[in-house]
Amino acid sequence: MAVFKHGYQRYDGPLTGPVTRFLAVPRYAWPKLLAERFVLVLLLVSLFWPLLCAIFIYLSNHASLLPNLNGGGEAIQKLLRIDGNFFATFMNIQSTFAILLAAIAGPGLIAPDLANNALPLYFSRPVSLGQYIGARLLVLFGLLSLVTLLPGLFVFGLQASLAGSAWLAANWPLGQGMVTGFLLYILLVSLVALTCSAYVKWRVVAGALVLGFFFVLAGAAQIVNQVFHVEWGSLLSPGYTVYTLWCALLGVETAADAPGAGECLAAVLVLLGALLAVLLRRLRPVEVVA
Amino acid sequence: MTPIIAVDQLRVRLGKREILKGISCCLGASGTGRAIGLLGPNGAGKSTLIQTLLGFHRPAAGTARILGFDCHRQSSAVKTRVGYMPENDSLIADMTAVAFLRLMGELSGLPAAAALEKAHETLFHVGLGEARYRKVGTYSLGMRQMAKLAQAIIHGPQLVILDEPTNGLDPAARQRMLVLIREMKEQHGMNVLLCSHLLPDVEQVCDEVVILKDGQIVHQCDLARERQANQRFVQLHVAGSDASFAAALREAGAEGISEAPGVWRIVLPAGLEVEVLWRLTARENLRITKLAYRRDTLEEIFLKAVGHLPASPRPEVAHGRL
Repeated sequence: MAVFKHGYQRYDGPLTGPVTRFLAVPRYAWPKLLAERFVLVLLLVSLFWPLLCAIFIYLSNHASLLPNLNGGGEAIQKLLRIDGNFFATFMNIQSTFAILLAAIAGPGLIAPDLANNALPLYFSRPVSLGQYIGARLLVLFGLLSLVTLLPGLFVFGLQASLAGSAWLAANWPLGQGMVTGFLLYILLVSLVALTCSAYVKWRVVAGALVLGFFFVLAGAAQIVNQVFHVEWGSLLSPGYTVYTLWCALLGVETAADAPGAGECLAAVLVLLGALLAVLLRRLRPVEVVA
Repeated sequence: MTPIIAVDQLRVRLGKREILKGISCCLGASGTGRAIGLLGPNGAGKSTLIQTLLGFHRPAAGTARILGFDCHRQSSAVKTRVGYMPENDSLIADMTAVAFLRLMGELSGLPAAAALEKAHETLFHVGLGEARYRKVGTYSLGMRQMAKLAQAIIHGPQLVILDEPTNGLDPAARQRMLVLIREMKEQHGMNVLLCSHLLPDVEQVCDEVVILKDGQIVHQCDLARERQANQRFVQLHVAGSDASFAAALREAGAEGISEAPGVWRIVLPAGLEVEVLWRLTARENLRITKLAYRRDTLEEIFLKAVGHLPASPRPEVAHGRL
């Protein structure tokens, strides 16, 4: 029977579980984000570097071809080695695309709910504040994974398949480090984007704020280092702390006098906690004027 | 039977201010399809009570229960059974009405396919069938109100909380909204908590009424019983000096109060006929300009409860009712 003929009936069927409900938010958000031209263009552009890396990996695994071309076999083989440095560089470049993508996609996630006063609609349903934030984080996690985790796993998988099981067994920690590093980075970038989205209604301004967060703090870190003649000022820069953590995870050496991985991890955790606290403070079902 | 809403010594503080000051009441009974009106002047605590029932505020003391579930500790169980239509504009503007309702349905626990079907069904039910593929942001005020109602009932809740549902509606749309609310309780067995400033709306739809003032319940009544028991009184308009008329009424065994200069509200006990008023006015040299039998309207009940009207005279026969 046509829907307009049978009239309204109360639903009395089975209900879904809390996880399925929670997943409804990203399921609706992803198609909307992927329909945006800027997001699509950025996703395509972000694939160039992984493609170049794939070509690089192919060449490094077929190095026997190269000496015949220019005669510099040993030097080129050293250059073409796939190790922690290679993955650190790969992650560093892909992370830039992740920030750009978060700056474009992030502001559209919470700001419209605040502008439309839609939070009471979510929180009057069996959706907790934690689930709401989790669902929004999942939207960005899915999107940022397309430029970080997935290309990273593709590059690692390609190298493992070309180099063979011996390389995989010896370099397994590189894969683990890359996944852990990217997960931490996605969480940080997503929280920054959500917090900016929760405080600034205008998308362009919120996007600029996301970019500014990373650049301004990096600048502030340099100023502190220069003014006080210290190294710990680098802990203020999220880019520096995350990169140091990546290097530690991938077994790459960093400057001895700079803050180490432990300090950087503590700085990142403090930053994550602060961002979450700020976000929780902002997201209330109703505005209370005391 | 479990009450729909049970509040016990509920205190709610927002910042340093105590908004709800230890209120207690039991409203409705589950499975009956009743409508409860929540009335009160601005700042009485109506919205705070609704928000506390929805788990938005943590009670400072006491408990609030919906259908037997604690609103704070069993918030998820409560929210699964409740639909909420907020007072202010509260929509996702850049979604079509179907997508918006489907999302709301899924968040309430409906499977995706059922949520889509119910979204269409509910939009036709509230009269937005033809506009269901339009973005909600393009809707007129009346259509937005209907969309808000639709999202509140898409999952077939046992209790629907409506905060000022007829706000900003033209007379026809207001009537349509009231018909829908009546249908919700009479045909679909839903319970309704209606918060409104428009007393005729509450009078048309509700079975019970709670009146809040300054964070306290000042009156609670069953409207159907009130209508039956509401004592008829005589409203008398007189010209002349009526200074000693109250004493004359008491002497004759009637009770009366002066509502305004020359306007009296008189309750005649059983056995005393209206002729006595003619006799008394003649004796006091008063000229009757109007005499009518009346009952209290909800507006008068409300105004008396909040102290803007003097209470009716209460002789023995009135059994203490308004």
